[in-house]
Amino acid sequence: MKKSLMILAMAVIPCLAAADETDLRAHVEFLSSPLLEGRLTGSEGERIASEYLGAQLRARGIQPLPGHDSFLLPFDFVSGMKDEGSSIKLTQGATAKDFPGDHVVGMSFSDNGTISAPVVFAGYGIKSPGSSETPYDSFHELDVKGKIVVMLRYFPENVKEEAFRHELSRYAGLRYKAMNAREAGAVGVIVLTGPNSPNAGKTVPVGFDTSVAGSQIIAVSADGEFADALFAGEDKTLKAIQTELDSGNPHVSGFAFTNKTVTISAAIKKDRREGHNVVGYLPATKGETDEYVLIGAHYDHLGHGAGGDSLAGEGDAGKIHPGADDNASGVAVILEVAGALAREQRPRNIALAFWSGEELGVIGSQAFIDKKLIPVEKITAYLNLDMVGYARDNKLSAQGIGSAPEWPSIVEKANMRPGFDLVMSKDPYLPTDASVFYTAKVPVLNLFTGAHENYHKPSDTAEKLNYEAMDRMVTLATNIVGSLMNDEKGPTYTAVERTKPEGESGRGVGRVYTGTIPDYAAEVEGLKLSGVMKDGPAAKAGLEKGDVIIEFGGRKVANIYDYMYALEGIKIGEKTAVVVMRGDKRVALEIIPEARK
Amino acid sequence: MSISKVLILLGLLALAGIATADPIHVEKVAAGDKIASGDQFLTQTRQLTYDGKRSGEGYFSLDGKLLTLQSEREPENPWYQIYLLNLDTGDSERISPGTGKTTCSYINPADSQQVIFASTHGDPKSLELQKAELEFRASGKERRYSWDYDSHFDIYRFDRATKAYTQLTREEGYDAECAYSRDGKTIVFSSNRNAFREGLSEEDAKKREINPEYFADIYLMDADGGNVRQITDVPGYDGGPFFSYDGARIIWRRFSADGATADVYTADADGKNQKRITHFDAMSWAPFFHPSNEYVIFASNKEGFSNFELYLVDAEGKKEPVRVTYTDGFDGLPVFSPDGKSLVWTSNRKGASQLFMARWNHEGAREAIAKAPARKEDKN
Repeated sequence: MKKSLMILAMAVIPCLAAADETDLRAHVEFLSSPLLEGRLTGSEGERIASEYLGAQLRARGIQPLPGHDSFLLPFDFVSGMKDEGSSIKLTQGATAKDFPGDHVVGMSFSDNGTISAPVVFAGYGIKSPGSSETPYDSFHELDVKGKIVVMLRYFPENVKEEAFRHELSRYAGLRYKAMNAREAGAVGVIVLTGPNSPNAGKTVPVGFDTSVAGSQIIAVSADGEFADALFAGEDKTLKAIQTELDSGNPHVSGFAFTNKTVTISAAIKKDRREGHNVVGYLPATKGETDEYVLIGAHYDHLGHGAGGDSLAGEGDAGKIHPGADDNASGVAVILEVAGALAREQRPRNIALAFWSGEELGVIGSQAFIDKKLIPVEKITAYLNLDMVGYARDNKLSAQGIGSAPEWPSIVEKANMRPGFDLVMSKDPYLPTDASVFYTAKVPVLNLFTGAHENYHKPSDTAEKLNYEAMDRMVTLATNIVGSLMNDEKGPTYTAVERTKPEGESGRGVGRVYTGTIPDYAAEVEGLKLSGVMKDGPAAKAGLEKGDVIIEFGGRKVANIYDYMYALEGIKIGEKTAVVVMRGDKRVALEIIPEARK
Repeated sequence: MSISKVLILLGLLALAGIATADPIHVEKVAAGDKIASGDQFLTQTRQLTYDGKRSGEGYFSLDGKLLTLQSEREPENPWYQIYLLNLDTGDSERISPGTGKTTCSYINPADSQQVIFASTHGDPKSLELQKAELEFRASGKERRYSWDYDSHFDIYRFDRATKAYTQLTREEGYDAECAYSRDGKTIVFSSNRNAFREGLSEEDAKKREINPEYFADIYLMDADGGNVRQITDVPGYDGGPFFSYDGARIIWRRFSADGATADVYTADADGKNQKRITHFDAMSWAPFFHPSNEYVIFASNKEGFSNFELYLVDAEGKKEPVRVTYTDGFDGLPVFSPDGKSLVWTSNRKGASQLFMARWNHEGAREAIAKAPARKEDKN
C-alpha cells in the first residue's frame, strides 16, 4: 500500500511539464528501477508498473475502456511449470526397475497421470508432409495404438540432401512429434536424446508452455541410463540405431520392444497466474463512431530472467533484467503520445494499450483480442512500439508496411518534422504484439531501433537509451495516429505471404547457437552484424561488429531469412564456412556453431 | 520484444559452449582501413520521401518551405508526375495534370504560387501510351530505366491559386529541364528543337532517331514563353541548366559529342562568358550553385560507370573536385536549400530512387575546397 501511494505521487509529477526528454527518461528510469524487478508478467513488479501506467493515463485525462472502471484488464496464463516427481518403471518379465525423478522429466505439454503399456521405438518420431521426393514418416507401418512411443530428440543429423534436412528440422518440435504419436493412437511418449546428438543422454528441461489446454497424451523425457536399460538385450544399441537413422537412410523402420512394458507417471505442476494489460481510452471528440485507432507497447519483461529467454552471462544470471529498451522505451513514448492526443480533436476513438505477457509469447495482446474488448474489425490500424531506445545514425525501422498500401505516404508525412532516416520493411509477421493484430486482419506498423548487445540482459538499463531520438519518436507516433484518426477510409488491410520458415516447431532451428547480433536497421545485401556475443562461436570465428555475412555454410545470404534458413541446415560442432564483407574486403572465416541447450 | 521468434531463430540463444578457438583463414584483412564517409559535409542524413515507386529531382521554394519533386505515385500512370511537398507539415499534392510524362519542375523564386515543369500531356496519344506502358509492366517485364527525350515534352506553368496551366513552349522537340531566375522574369531550359527544323541533313536525321539529345542546347526565354534565345550551339547534349540563387550566373552540363563524358559549364545570366569548370574525365552532370556562389555541387561517375557520387568544385574551376558522398549506386541531382544549410538529392542507396536530405557543412566545404589540389592542365 505504501509503495503504491508513493508511486501515485510520483506519477503526477512528470506530466505537469511538456513532453520532453526529461519525462521520457523519468518513465524509463521508474519502469526499469530495481523496485519493479524486471516487470515479470503476473509479478509484484508488473503490478507496480501497471499502477504507475494507470496513474499516468488518469493524469492525462484518459479513461478506462467503455464498460470498464479500471485501466487494468486481467488475463490468465500459466506462469511456470515444475516437474514434481515424474518417473518411469521398466518391467521385463518378473524384473522391474524404477527410474525416479533424476532420470525423468515431464514435458511442458504433458497431461498428468500414470499409464502402463508396451513400448515401441519410432526413430525420430518425425512426420513431414513431404515437399521433397520422399515424405518422411517415422510411424510408417508401425503399430503404436495403445502403446508408449520412444523417440529421439532433434532430427537426423547427416541427411545429405540439404533441402531435406531443412524440411526435417522444421518438423522436429517435440510438441509436434508428440501430437503425431497421439494421432497414431499412442498413449504415451518418452523422448531420448540420442548418443550422437548434442546434449547426448540428457533429459529435456521441462520448459514452458503458456497454453492452458491439455494435450491428451503423457509425455516425458528420460536420460541415457534409462535408454541403456530399455535397449539392453535388443539386437542393436541405441547408438547403432541412431547412426543408421542419421546416415542418410531416414527410413529405418521402428520396432516393438519384446516383453518390455513401461509405466510412466507424469507429474507436472502448472502455476496459473493473472497478468494485466493496461488500456486507456480517448473518445472521439466529433461525430459518432465505433472505430478505434490502437497504439500500444508491451510493458512486461523478464523479471530475473528465470524463464529461459535471458541472455545474461554466467556472472549475471538471476539478476534483475531491467528491460529499459525492452520495452520501457516504447511505453514511455506512448505515455507522451497519449498526452499530445488528449489535447487534439479526434474523429475516431483512440485506445492506448500497455500489454503484459509479451515476453511469454504475446499472450496479453492475444487475450485482448480473444475477449473482444474492442472487436478487431473496429480497429482502423494498430501502431506498435517495441524497443525504440537504441536509435543510431538517426535510423529507425518501420516494420510491417506490407500490411497496407497507405503506410509509405502516412509515414512520409508523419516523419517530415521528426526527420528519421526510416528503414521500411514489409513483413508484418513480427516477433512482437503487432503480429497478433495483423493475424486478426488489422493493418499494423511497428517502430523498432534494432537488437543490441544489452538485449535481454541485466545490462539493459535506462542510462543507455537515446532520449533525444525517443522525443522525436513521440512526434512521429503522434503524427501517425493523427493521420490514422483523420483519414476517412483508414489503411487497407493487405495480405502478405509468410516468407519465414514456419512449420510447427521452429525448434529445429533453435538447436543452433552462433552468437551473432544482427543489425536490423542496415540496408545492405547480406546480414549486417551490430555485434557478436562475447565468447560465442561468431566471436571465436573472428566475426566482428559491422561485418556483413554474405555466405553461410556454402549458401548465399541476402537477408535475415536466408541466414535463418542456412542455420537450419548446418551441423553443430562442425566447421562451417562463413564469408563476410568487411568494408569492401571479402573475408572468409570458419565458424563452429554450438548447440543450444 | 519477444525473444522466442527472433533470437531463437537467429541462433543467438544458449550459452552452452563446446567450440574452441580454431585457426581462421582470412583472404584480405581490412584492419586499420579507415572507411571514408560523407560525414565531413553531410550530417543527419535521412530519407525524405517514401511514397511512390520512385521519386527524384527535388527543388526548393525560395523560403525553403516547399519542395517540388517528381514521383511515380499513382496506379493509373506509370510515369513521373510532379508533386509539391510541404516541408513543415509533410503534406504533398500532385500539381501536374496526371496524364503523360513529366519532369524537371521549379518554383518561381519571386512568386511561389507559380511552378514550371515539362510535360507530355499535350500529346493526344499520352493516355493511350500510358495504358500501353502499364500493360507492358503488368506482363512482368520492366525496361531498364532510361530517359526517352519524348519530343512532345513542353514547358508549362502551373498557378497554385487558380489551378490553371499555361503552355510556355510550343516548338516540336524536347523542351524541358527548366528553371527560373531569381527575379522570376527569365526561364532557362534545354531543347533539341533544332533537330526538328526543316532541311536537316540526312546524317543528322539519322542521328536524331538514335540520339535525340545530341541536338539539345541551352535556351533562355521570358517567363511568359516569349523572347526565346539560344545561348549554346555546340555538338553534344547541353542540359540541366539552373540560375544561381542570386540570379547572376547560369550553370549546366555539356556532354561530349560522342556522349561518353560530360563536364560542368557556367555563364553569365545572359549566356555570355561561358566557362568550363571541370575536366573530370567522367560523366559529370547535374551541377548546382551553393547560395554563397563560392562553389558548385555536381554528380559524377568517376568511381564506376553506375556509381554516381556527389562532388564539389570551386566556382572558378581552379581546383580538382572534392568527393562528398560514399555510397554504392546512384547519388545525384543535388540541390542546396536557399539558406545553404541543407542539401537535397536523389539516391537509390536503399533500393528504388528516393529523395534524401542532410544538413550541409558550408565551412567544411570551403576548407576542403581550399585544400584541394589545383586543377590539372586542360586537355582541351
